Amino acid sequence: MNLSHPDRRARLQRLASEYALGTLSPRARRRIARIAARDPIVAAALREWEWRLAGLAEAVPPVTPSPKVWTGIREQLGLVEGGRTDQRASWWSSLAFWRGLSVTGALAALALGIALVSLRPEPAAPTIVVLAPPTGGPAIVATAIPGTRDLALKGVRPLDVPAGRTLELWALPDGAPPRSLGLLPASGTIRLALPPGTLERVPALAVSLEPAGGSPTGAPTGPVLYTGRVERML
Amino acid sequence: MDAARSARLADLIARTALADQQAFAALYRETSASLFGIALRIVRERALAEDLLQEAFVAIWSHAASYAPAKSQPMTWLIAIVRHRCLDSLRRRALDTESLAREDDQPELDIASDEPGPAELLLRGADEHSVRDCVERLEGGSKQAIALAFFQGLTHAELAAHLREPLGTVKSWVRRGLERLRGCLEQAGAIR
Repeated sequence: MNLSHPDRRARLQRLASEYALGTLSPRARRRIARIAARDPIVAAALREWEWRLAGLAEAVPPVTPSPKVWTGIREQLGLVEGGRTDQRASWWSSLAFWRGLSVTGALAALALGIALVSLRPEPAAPTIVVLAPPTGGPAIVATAIPGTRDLALKGVRPLDVPAGRTLELWALPDGAPPRSLGLLPASGTIRLALPPGTLERVPALAVSLEPAGGSPTGAPTGPVLYTGRVERML
Repeated sequence: MDAARSARLADLIARTALADQQAFAALYRETSASLFGIALRIVRERALAEDLLQEAFVAIWSHAASYAPAKSQPMTWLIAIVRHRCLDSLRRRALDTESLAREDDQPELDIASDEPGPAELLLRGADEHSVRDCVERLEGGSKQAIALAFFQGLTHAELAAHLREPLGTVKSWVRRGLERLRGCLEQAGAIR
């Protein structure tokens, strides 16, 4: 269904308005949302209608939700009060860890216990990577999402990606070859799941320009456009 | 909504995209009551509305980077996330209880009696040429159908049952109403 074709404008307007109003069938709703994800004209029509009708919603009187909603949100996202995250709690609180500990003997346990006490209070600070060319300002800002292995990348200015080429993100480990983390859209904005521990072990990331579909060799083949250090904000 | 509040909310969303938990908490404090009011009105069940609000804020945290301030007002973006979650949930439940619904053609509309109804909401603080004003100017059938669909999440079939009109009539009220609404808003934009 090519909804952005000029002949289909009226149909697009009707579908977009009913999507925003909420009267489309569940199947039609899912379908138009899927089309909007790749067709900017359809996406713009949906947004325009959301905007038109949002003024209606603002007339609804506010109702304060129970405090357990906010508690639930924080728990689900692994956020803790005071702006810290408790990702690091997981390994030492796991059953397997303590089971292993029990066979090492009481003294060793005591020694480890002391070591753990000193490890534990370290907060999981927000981790960010500012990817920039050798000269010039930031091009992409990447942020680790607490409670996940995900890295959210956001292009902060238009990136110049020639047709038929694509951006590829690389981890640059110390003393080892670069490892691909995935392809980036021309906007530079995407959320990628990283292999576990990537940002803890890798000091820097880079973005190179590769043929469409990504580097054919598994190593960067095109020019490296942007690099950035993995920084923990304390 | 005033421009200063919009700018503040857009800033909170941008900082949420950079995993700033304090900004996220402030965004929740500022918007959760409005969004909860909207959710409650659509799903009409407190526990469910709270679950959906929670889901919506988890999505807001994860997708904050996709918010484009140039393309929509922050409140519009937040309302859309909450409304679509509520509508999806209503439609899922409708499928689960389809056989029950057939026996009872009157959709449940048990909002507390002191709560304003859809028609009253249209009139609340409606500026001339605002969307509420434009809906208010629609013909009776279109006005009622659009207000019920928007504020209470009714489908075409539920609207038909509620208004005791044939499905085709209700569908064309909605369609014509939305077309007129667009015309009215475009004219309002031209006047401004």
